[in-house]
Amino acid sequence: MIEVQGLEKTYSTGSVTTPVLKDINFRINDGEYVAIMGTSGTGKSTLMNILGCLDKPTGGSYRLDDTDVGSLDDDTLSHLRNRKVGFVFQQFHLLERATATRNVMLPLIYVEDYPEDAKKMAEKSLSSVGLADRMEYKPNELSGGQQQRVAIARALITEPEIILADEPTGNLDHKSGLEVMAIFKRLHQKGRTIILVTHEQAVADHAQRIIVLKDGKIAEDRRVEKQRDPDVELSTLAGGEDEQ
Amino acid sequence: MRIQRIIGQGVQALNTNKVRTLFMMAGTIVGIAALTVIMAIGSGTEKKIMKRVEGFGPRALMLIAGGGKDLPPPDFNITTLRLDDADAVRNRVQGIEAISPVAFKSQMPIKVGGTQTQATVFAVDSDWHEAWDWYVTEGDPIAAEDVATLARVCVIGQTLSHDLFGNESPIGEYIHIQNVRFRVKGILKRRGTSPIGTDFDNRALIPLTTGMRRLFNQDHITYVRIKVRDLDQVESVKSQVRQLIHERHHITPPEEDDFRIVSAKGIGDLARGTSKTLSILLSALAGLSLIVGGVVLMNILLISVGERQKEIGLRRAVGATRKDILFQFLTESLAVTSIGMLVGSGLGAAITLILKQTTKVPVVLSWEPFALSLAFALLVGIFFGVQPARKAASLNPVETLR
Repeated sequence: MIEVQGLEKTYSTGSVTTPVLKDINFRINDGEYVAIMGTSGTGKSTLMNILGCLDKPTGGSYRLDDTDVGSLDDDTLSHLRNRKVGFVFQQFHLLERATATRNVMLPLIYVEDYPEDAKKMAEKSLSSVGLADRMEYKPNELSGGQQQRVAIARALITEPEIILADEPTGNLDHKSGLEVMAIFKRLHQKGRTIILVTHEQAVADHAQRIIVLKDGKIAEDRRVEKQRDPDVELSTLAGGEDEQ
Repeated sequence: MRIQRIIGQGVQALNTNKVRTLFMMAGTIVGIAALTVIMAIGSGTEKKIMKRVEGFGPRALMLIAGGGKDLPPPDFNITTLRLDDADAVRNRVQGIEAISPVAFKSQMPIKVGGTQTQATVFAVDSDWHEAWDWYVTEGDPIAAEDVATLARVCVIGQTLSHDLFGNESPIGEYIHIQNVRFRVKGILKRRGTSPIGTDFDNRALIPLTTGMRRLFNQDHITYVRIKVRDLDQVESVKSQVRQLIHERHHITPPEEDDFRIVSAKGIGDLARGTSKTLSILLSALAGLSLIVGGVVLMNILLISVGERQKEIGLRRAVGATRKDILFQFLTESLAVTSIGMLVGSGLGAAITLILKQTTKVPVVLSWEPFALSLAFALLVGIFFGVQPARKAASLNPVETLR
């Protein structure tokens, strides 16, 4: 569970202080599928970094499963990211010279108790995103959609409580994007908490709930009335292709 | 273990970028190889010097006619040293076990029947054998009686014997040294060659009196060989001899000596002196190449940290602590210098073996350069790896992932 109260983030360069986030309050329950939306420069990346324990708030509080993240030191934050957060980035951020399996295993390097069947876990994770036949491929041998799915498999390997996806479809074509969203849908159905950060309304509509940021403040926090279903859209797309 | 996995990551990074790794390694390889070869030559030279000192005799002194500080071969044309100088040393200096005055000439024509050769001829007294610890294997040595009676007898070295008589025994046979007939009464033990290649066994010994009066026709001697009773008396005997000869030759320092006294220590120091300068120079070169190699290593690592910002950010995002990143980059640096050290040691050993096979350069391979190389490699790896590693660890993941 995520609970944010009166959260603030201010950057200071010299004597100039720039407030980026102001008085943010919300709560995300386990298993929710939430999109954080806003145009660029509204502080959504900063909010994502704080939620992902990469950055600390300068005011207010952020509780992740009853841990007050704001009071933790750098090492503890690293451990927390390792155990509780799975990141998916717009640019995938895969190790160029490593195979899909090695990329997926990366977070396991930094766990306290290294599992003996690490490789099996990686293979299972890759299978779950539909890449069973691409395990030994390197990033440059994979399509963008496949690379993003490797990144998702990497985020899943430590079985984190939250998946934080920052514009996950931003670098993908329409169909690959839908495939990635279909994976998020399945993860959500299995009970994982998913936080989607995007500037596109169409992407945000895949979530159950949208938090809209404007000028560093929450402008809107609402349920999505008509949630998009990537599976339906994919099948129509396949039908369309058949007709051609 | 977590640390093992981090080390694994460092090694993997090196393995995936082999060209870069090779460049990082080059300096260490060259430096360590040079160090290995230099140390092998150093201990080889020292061994050779020790052998030379041993050959000279650790308790021996030579009082040689002619001054100067260098070590030129004794010059038999210098007339300043007399037989009564040797007698005075024998009678007045304390601590002498054996003393033997010598007059010699090299390249003397020697003939048996139709066979002719050249050898160095030494005019010696009966104490020569003891003063040089050099005795006969066959026949008899030069005796006091031979000297007293100006006997025309000789003792010859193995090379000369072989040149003149082949495998036949020369004992009782006659040889002509510059038209004077000598009877061969003994053969000297084999002594081998000097460090500068002179054959010690191509010689003939004749009685001192016979040599000076009949053959060389001179009343000066070339040098006096002195064997000191105890090793710790060598310096005392040396200064006694110097003082005595000063007195006898009416020399008052700083007037230049017309003689010199050579000891085993002096020979060792002199030989070391020249090889030391060279070895210091070469060591400095090896050290320099290690430092340059270290600087290159550091710069490539710094560039690499810059290039791999996204990777570092990603590692931090998935749970790496600052220490994990620090260790990974230190591992890369240490692995480069350690592997470079192994390759360099191997290369150095190979060069040493090639030198041994193809040249006369004295070399000795031992474990010391290996241990020293390891220490240097770790030192360079840590010293030049710390800064890039700290830079990598201090990167802010939020900024690198942007």
